[in-house]
Amino acid sequence: MKRLLALMLVLILVLSACSPKTDETSTDKEDEIAEYSVLYSGEITTLNYLVTSTTAEFALAANFVDSLIDFDRYGVAVPGLATEWEVSDDGLVWTLKIREGVKWVTHDGEEYAEVTAHDWVDAAKYLLNPANESKTANIFYSVIENAEEYYKGEITDFSQVGVRAVSDYVLEYKLKKPTPYFLSMLNYVCFLPANGDFLEEVGDRFGTDNVNFLYNGAYIMEVFEPQSRRILVKNENYWDKDNVFIDRIVMTYNQEAATLGPELFVRGEVDYSGIPASLVEEWMQDPARKDLIRPNRTSFYSYFYALNFDPKFDEEYEPENWKIAVNNRNFRKSLFHALDRVAAMTTAEPYNPEQRLSNTITPKNFVNFEGKDYVEFGKLKEFTNTDSFNPDLALKYRDEAKKELEGKVKFPIIVYMPYNSGSTEWANRAQVVEQQMENLLGTDYIDIVIDARPPTNFLSEVRRSGKYAFLECNWGPDYADPETYTDPFYPGGTYNFPEYVEGYNDPNGEKRYTNLVDAARAEVNDIEKRYELFAEAEAFLIEEAFVIPYAVGGGGYSASRLNPFESMYSPFGVSPERYKGHKLLDKPMNTEEFLQELEKWEQERVEALKKASQ
Amino acid sequence: MGKGAVNKLRNSIENSIKEDELFEFAEFDEEEAKRGGYSNYSYWRSTWKVFISNRLAAFLLILMAVLLLFTFIQPYLPNQKSPTKIHNHPETNLPLKNLRPNEEFWFGTNSIGQDLWARVWSGTRTSLMIAIIVGLWEAIVGITIGALWGYVRWLDRPITEIYNIINNIPKTIILILMTYIMKPSMFTMIFAICLTSWIDMARFVRNLTIIIRDREYNLASKCLGTPTRRIITKNLLPYLVSVIMLTIALSIPSTIGYEVFLTYIGLGLPVKTPSLGNLVNEGRLLILNPSQRYQLIFPSIVVSVITISFYILGNVFSDAADPKNHV
Amino acid sequence: MLKYSIKRLFQSLLTLFIIVTVVFLLMRLLPEEGYFGDAYEKLDEAQREAILTSMGLRDPIHIQLINFYKNLLKGDLGESITFRPRVPVMEIIKDKVPYSLYFGLASIAISLIVGISLGIAMARNKSKFWDKLGTGYIVFVRAVPAAVYFLFIQIYITDIFKLPMLFKIDDPKTWILPTISMSLGGIASYAMWIRRYMVDELNKDYVKLARAKGLDSKKIMVRHVFRNAFVPMAQYLPATILFTISGSIYIESLYSIPGMGGLLVEVIKRQDNTLVQALVLIYSSIGIVGLFLGDILMALFDPRIKLER
Repeated sequence: MKRLLALMLVLILVLSACSPKTDETSTDKEDEIAEYSVLYSGEITTLNYLVTSTTAEFALAANFVDSLIDFDRYGVAVPGLATEWEVSDDGLVWTLKIREGVKWVTHDGEEYAEVTAHDWVDAAKYLLNPANESKTANIFYSVIENAEEYYKGEITDFSQVGVRAVSDYVLEYKLKKPTPYFLSMLNYVCFLPANGDFLEEVGDRFGTDNVNFLYNGAYIMEVFEPQSRRILVKNENYWDKDNVFIDRIVMTYNQEAATLGPELFVRGEVDYSGIPASLVEEWMQDPARKDLIRPNRTSFYSYFYALNFDPKFDEEYEPENWKIAVNNRNFRKSLFHALDRVAAMTTAEPYNPEQRLSNTITPKNFVNFEGKDYVEFGKLKEFTNTDSFNPDLALKYRDEAKKELEGKVKFPIIVYMPYNSGSTEWANRAQVVEQQMENLLGTDYIDIVIDARPPTNFLSEVRRSGKYAFLECNWGPDYADPETYTDPFYPGGTYNFPEYVEGYNDPNGEKRYTNLVDAARAEVNDIEKRYELFAEAEAFLIEEAFVIPYAVGGGGYSASRLNPFESMYSPFGVSPERYKGHKLLDKPMNTEEFLQELEKWEQERVEALKKASQ
Repeated sequence: MGKGAVNKLRNSIENSIKEDELFEFAEFDEEEAKRGGYSNYSYWRSTWKVFISNRLAAFLLILMAVLLLFTFIQPYLPNQKSPTKIHNHPETNLPLKNLRPNEEFWFGTNSIGQDLWARVWSGTRTSLMIAIIVGLWEAIVGITIGALWGYVRWLDRPITEIYNIINNIPKTIILILMTYIMKPSMFTMIFAICLTSWIDMARFVRNLTIIIRDREYNLASKCLGTPTRRIITKNLLPYLVSVIMLTIALSIPSTIGYEVFLTYIGLGLPVKTPSLGNLVNEGRLLILNPSQRYQLIFPSIVVSVITISFYILGNVFSDAADPKNHV
Repeated sequence: MLKYSIKRLFQSLLTLFIIVTVVFLLMRLLPEEGYFGDAYEKLDEAQREAILTSMGLRDPIHIQLINFYKNLLKGDLGESITFRPRVPVMEIIKDKVPYSLYFGLASIAISLIVGISLGIAMARNKSKFWDKLGTGYIVFVRAVPAAVYFLFIQIYITDIFKLPMLFKIDDPKTWILPTISMSLGGIASYAMWIRRYMVDELNKDYVKLARAKGLDSKKIMVRHVFRNAFVPMAQYLPATILFTISGSIYIESLYSIPGMGGLLVEVIKRQDNTLVQALVLIYSSIGIVGLFLGDILMALFDPRIKLER
């Protein structure tokens, strides 16, 4: 047996001698270095910020490349690489003054070139070349003059596209039509700069790794080993380096981050970890761990239940019957008030489910006018603070619907509700919703049929092709304006096809909702009026129960040495992803502190916004 | 003793017994002939005897039979709950989620308030059904093809190449394409597993067959003109019974594990039918969470009991199947 | 033998061609939406077309296939399209293989040595202490899902010995636990099969004869019984060794090892056609060669086996 052990030992030694080469990165740290280490579970596909539209991917680039404008922690636009900007009276021409003396540096910190206005023109040229497969080009060409034509090859002269370097330090954008939210778009990836010479030099390999990349932001990526680790170090040449407080960020890949992260955090091996819902209750009862965790802030992803007006699912589930039912207002309202959203949310957020519920389609704190939140405008205000779940109302509407539909439809009405079998949470939620609504409304009235559909092509097969009656859907904003939340429901959308509803016809032949949105879209000068009109359109969808607002994304709990209120705040764009401005906390924030800070932040925000609008 | 004395003794014996009394002609009796020619040895009966004489094996066999029977009658016993019904708190009307085992819910409830006791048994029923069907399919198809592949020389090349093709096209691609065509159901799942599972069994049997096909006794049989079918069934397979039984026994627990993967890619069972694979997978996330660990432990115990039982049964049966161990 | 080998390997080239072509075509049956990941929703029609065209998916299928084989003959496997767009697939694979190879080979070595020793010990002491202990171990490894005991080992052993939980390339201490965890299953399965085959062999007449001749029982075990018992396992050995390059998904994901584990499944899900084709080409070559080498090895161990006729 001894011989065997000796043999094994030798073998291990031999094998470790021929193991993969180790890196010669210096691990000796000085005491003062502020290092933040974190696990990540999904590897990025590219660093190319002109191509990707995935937050996880541009979150990295956001720390390497600065944008024209930034947002402060209250969401007020502040100068970034543009020091000042102005818009022409007709709202079509935006002129921006570019910060002088900012340098592009390579991955080893060497200076490459100066940042000039031409970098935005070159970036646009790259973006609008279809061969580069940009996934954000459409956002760029939805506002910039002639950009769409150039992308589609209808014009070939790039100088006709509405982006121009007037001089090295003056950049000019010409828009298709006045766009009140254009400034906020400048914070998105398709408006980030790229050095033209470098693009030419590296060609196809731009953004494939940390070497084929130029930096002008707060951090430089020193090490990039896919599926292993990344090391970000502070950019010593950064123009605003006094506001960068974390010197080094170490990110380690681990596919099981959700399982291992909490334990690693407790052992002090990482400075951040998400805490899975199932652990939260446990930790909250443990006095030693209770103070390690806090809620996360919610995101601007909006989740809602949609009622389909153009059902195309199998005969087996009686689409014709559903179609008659869904066109009855009382029927829709009965479903609207019968959905217990707290019960549904417990499948995702068992601890404190209320924090993620949303009563409107557009989330709170998305946009505001002079400190007044969009959801407080007009008719929308009625819904903002009322829970749609109301058993008494649900039963009242059910009885009326029964009376009106008697003889016209077959009871119980089959409500066909597919879900994605790739998500356990969703599967659980489907069961909860089915049983909860059937219990309340009675199985002689509705019969909710839940159906597991494979994740492959789920959205195409189910939502876009209208093969559902009742479905949980979500939508994320494309720019900071309430208009972005109307896309799913406006004719041409692929959500619940409200243009097929019976009735609601306006004299001009359009459906009421279409007209409401058109009116709001046309109002580009008076923002207050614009928000009011959009609020009216959104209120219509909720009031008539075309949609049941459900929740916002994000949420959950985490243990972290960062203060979430120090990050730049913006509902859209790259700023919120930046580590700039963050300081490392000595001990993680707990729930009470989080709630205090949140309250404080909300008050200060109102002040800051008011001040900014003066 | 002198020679004379011997002769004397012989004579005295011969004298005392008459020759015709010593022997008589026997009548030909077919039954008796059989008894003499063959012993009352029957291979399977002996195997069974040796097998059942192992007390542990006998116990486990009964345990498995009882378990199987129980999963079927459990829903009809009094006071049983539905495996899919979500139980709500009578006052707050919120789901009774993550309740630890108590008098009402013997195994507690899961994260949305379903009765774990009912789910575990319903899952066991489903999983055992799938595993047994798949095990039988593997045995029949795998052994037939494997034996032919190994024994019949001219089939070796074509089947090897077919094996190479089937084995090397990633199963994931085929399964994902299948999710396109078929709806999740028990049949789909069994179909998906059966589609490829026999391949390994076939290769296993083929390897064993190659090892013994050129042994002298097979050569002899062949020279005597024994048909291939007979050589395979009488000369080869009995030799392999012990190891084949072990693989089949092991395939049952591994099928339960495979379910999890299928569920993940969307070929799994619909929510209405819980399975052991799903229950363990859901429970795995709670491993670091002592107060909810019971959700992992109960289904795991069932899986472990099944796995261990089949492993031991397989081994004991293998021992018993070896004729040398028959008394 | 040489002629047989050449002929058989040559034949396998055709098989390889069929496999890769079938996979090539199957990948193109997958829905187009899959090439975009989550981005699909927010793109307009013009962009989707532009992206698919740029990926080369708008060419007629036979052109795509011909291009693929043309480049393959030149030794060019192409660039990844969705996993890491524009990075040559060989570069991606090359970075990952060493890790999987190291852990795979180390764990096979350990499993073979420990597993076989345990198996022999169990067979020699059938129904005695070693056998019971070994059975207990095998049953445990079999009965507890790997995903569960791997996690337990990682969390509790690192806690007891104060080791870092995750793999770090420049810290040799972090190499040990993954290697050992990876071996546990192998040890159990080698021990189980060696025991099974040896118990079967032990009853054979030649063993009784050898015993009757008065041969040392240890010698009988190693020279005769083990050798015969090892033959059925020999078939699997080459493939097992070669396939270590495909990595172990559980271990690699738990310990953050940047190996090949799960790469194929991952790229199939992301529909990275070029990467899938490259991996299938590599894996099926290995599979074919592994099966062939297994046959040869089996014949070497047991000269009574004749492969050719």
